[in-house]
Amino acid sequence: MLVAFAVPMAVVVLLSMHAYSDPFGPLLRPPSTAQYAMVLGDFFYLRVLLETLTLAGGVTALSVIIGYPLALWLVSVPAKWRALAFVVILIPLLTNVVVRSLGIVLLLAPDGILNGVLGWLGIGPFRNMLYNYGAVCIALAQVFMPYVVLALYDVLQGTSPRVKEAAESLGASPSMVFWTVRFPMALPGLRAGIVVVFLMASTAYVSATILGGGRVLTSGMLVYREAITNLSYPIAAALTLVMTVASLAFSAVVLLVFRKLTPWTRAGEGRANSSLPAIPVWLVRGLDLIGPLISRGLLVIAIILLLLPLYLVVMQSFNDVPQASSAKFVGFTLKWYEIVLQNGNYTAAFLNSVRLAVASTLISLAVSIPAAFALVRYRFPGLNGLAVFWALPLSLPGVAIGVGMLQLLSIFFRLPPFLGLLAVHVAIVIPFCISLLVASVLQLDRAQEEAAASLGANGFQRFFRIILPGLAPGMAAASIMAFLTSFGEVTVTSFLTTARMTTLPVRIYADSTFMLEPTVHAVSAMTMLLTLIALFVLNKFLRLDRLYAR
Amino acid sequence: MSIMKRRTFGKLVLGAGVAAPFHFVRSAVAQPQPGDELIVGIWGGAQERIVREFVEPALVDKYGCKVSYVLGGTGERRARAYAERGRPSFDVIYLNIYESRQAVTDGVTQAPTDAVANAEYLYPLAKQGGYGVAFNPCTIVYKTDKASSPITSYADLFKDEWKGRFASPTVPGMQGIAALLMLAKTYGGDEFNIDVGFQKLQELKPFAAIQNSAEAAWQMFEQDIADITIEFGSLANMAKDSVLPGITIADPVEGICAAMNVACITTGTQNQVLAEEWINLHLSEPCMQAYMRQTYYSPTVSNVAIPADIADKILTPDQVSRLASFDWEHIASAQAEWSSRFTREIAG
Repeated sequence: MLVAFAVPMAVVVLLSMHAYSDPFGPLLRPPSTAQYAMVLGDFFYLRVLLETLTLAGGVTALSVIIGYPLALWLVSVPAKWRALAFVVILIPLLTNVVVRSLGIVLLLAPDGILNGVLGWLGIGPFRNMLYNYGAVCIALAQVFMPYVVLALYDVLQGTSPRVKEAAESLGASPSMVFWTVRFPMALPGLRAGIVVVFLMASTAYVSATILGGGRVLTSGMLVYREAITNLSYPIAAALTLVMTVASLAFSAVVLLVFRKLTPWTRAGEGRANSSLPAIPVWLVRGLDLIGPLISRGLLVIAIILLLLPLYLVVMQSFNDVPQASSAKFVGFTLKWYEIVLQNGNYTAAFLNSVRLAVASTLISLAVSIPAAFALVRYRFPGLNGLAVFWALPLSLPGVAIGVGMLQLLSIFFRLPPFLGLLAVHVAIVIPFCISLLVASVLQLDRAQEEAAASLGANGFQRFFRIILPGLAPGMAAASIMAFLTSFGEVTVTSFLTTARMTTLPVRIYADSTFMLEPTVHAVSAMTMLLTLIALFVLNKFLRLDRLYAR
Repeated sequence: MSIMKRRTFGKLVLGAGVAAPFHFVRSAVAQPQPGDELIVGIWGGAQERIVREFVEPALVDKYGCKVSYVLGGTGERRARAYAERGRPSFDVIYLNIYESRQAVTDGVTQAPTDAVANAEYLYPLAKQGGYGVAFNPCTIVYKTDKASSPITSYADLFKDEWKGRFASPTVPGMQGIAALLMLAKTYGGDEFNIDVGFQKLQELKPFAAIQNSAEAAWQMFEQDIADITIEFGSLANMAKDSVLPGITIADPVEGICAAMNVACITTGTQNQVLAEEWINLHLSEPCMQAYMRQTYYSPTVSNVAIPADIADKILTPDQVSRLASFDWEHIASAQAEWSSRFTREIAG
């Protein structure tokens, strides 16, 4: 973590204090606040920062609103089918973000599917759904909503159904059960999901670039432009750090608010009641009537948003057009699959990605489990600082870490390429693991541990027989998130790949730099198929449902 | 044992003095050994496929070497080359017309020389900042049926029929730079007086959209969001062949804005001869023909035959001589400022 993240981070801080840009100048120069003055004193930069934060807030809200019913559905699916139900969120996450964004374009286009359906209902057409903040918000929600679902799933899975039964036996209506029992108990997961999605959305730029059509400008796009196109590292670094501070301030507010709302999670303060305000009776009655409808409607929207663009991706993989973005289906062809299968580089890149993702996941879990316990169960000086430090990689645009790494290339290239990339990937995925595992540790019933201890179980026995089974859903969610994040990472990786170590996302990105051919769709479709096969096989032989059940 | 005469000694000293620089030069141009590895930084997709098929095998056959590729976008490649100046991990990198010029000035890549045999056939425009390997100039592209008459000048962009239908290319990006330069040129400005370009681009507002790639532009055309833009002619011809048969690629009287891909040898490469031969093979007939056939990129060398069946899509020597070229080094140095200005004044 120190080498892979703290050192590049320190480089970014140093770059931000350069008075002017000089790509060949020394890294250590007399410190200057000129870049910060430029960012903070310029209405343009401040406006972009504010718009980015607002956009991230909108993405987070949308992800929570449609992700919550999806998480509830995942929990309610019979355990033996649950692993397969996860396909709904796993497959999109395994699909390249460029490809998914193109799917959203095809969905929202004037002649796209949505307008087609609306036209069939006699509504529309709406010709202005593309290339605005709304389109970017939808695209980013499609990309990040699974992270909320995974975070929520973990805590919802841990909630005993007897709690609901007890509330109902005391006369609570369905909406009262939701508001006073199920929703408050999901708050730790919701907190983790909100922080993760907000921070990721505030640094995203690929979807914003494709769906924004030049009209949407985010600070992530500005950082990329300044750093990579203009080679103006100091201004990019200052912009990054200002953005990071703003994002972390938002996270701190979220943590404080949720701390107030979940007093029972604080050790030594007992199980207090939820501080959620009471809702009026008329609203309860209204929600009892329309709540199930709204919930089902949102679930359908969530599934459509996640899967429909992927259907379009599969269709495009058979389309005989030279450009992947074309909406017209000209003719059926298998040539894109031929190109991918004949070119062994795709296979090598895929295997590199899998190896890297598996290793990153295992190392991140090994580091995150003790870190999560330390953050939840122990009080020591610097605890809050440590919590912020873990979250830093999430709040930094990947391109900033890449620029930091560029300054360290001579060190980096002395490492075996796999180890260098592994170090960076571990740094990138650890915040996800810690966020999820903190929520899981908060959910653990300490009474069980105390009971086991009173019956003579030692520390190892308590860990393996009580704690580990209790953490299993959280570990599964963290593993999935870590694997998928590492598997899809392209921004930092594209700076650090070598001739012998290219990952699949970098390969796809490289292809798109000339002209995005439907080979990227073919690769994505094959990845989806492989995932489906793997899940079916694993589920048949390994009983994956046990992994997801507390 | 004879004693060396003073004159003989002097000759030897002189000879050694003359030969000494050769020692330093020799280390830089050491002959390739079997097993040497050439690292090439290039775009993916068709460009990678073409060099793998038409350049790599010939080089490997000749020297018994190995060729490896670092794939990705120009931005990442350039940023890395700058970070590695003098100790490069690439031997050959591909850049665009103005980035290549700037990279030579900054000491990141080498200026072109005659050590590349096929460089003698390069058009003068293609032998600056490296070795131009493909022309892909930018011009006006529009839907034929939406035009009351063919576009013959950049001034035609201001006709009422295009009001609100122009998809402005973004800056940074070669297409956006071309839009600024050609509008400036049309109305009395140039790269040193780019205010004219910004002012005229401002007058084209409201835009139908702002497009940041040819992909996006064609999608906007398909979806009837926009009818006219400024794009790479090669990519427009490919779109015309497939999904957009109803477009016209204009040849304005002010000229078509030069743009090209440039192969550059990094300063400090340990594989100088391999790098030079790589570029030599890239400029050879088979590779140029493949570029013309597969991407409609125009050859940068004058000794290559243009196939008759695609002649209307490839620049003739006469058209090459009429390409609108500018002081690309100045453009490279002004790029950050233009980019910022576009974002604030035009896109905002």
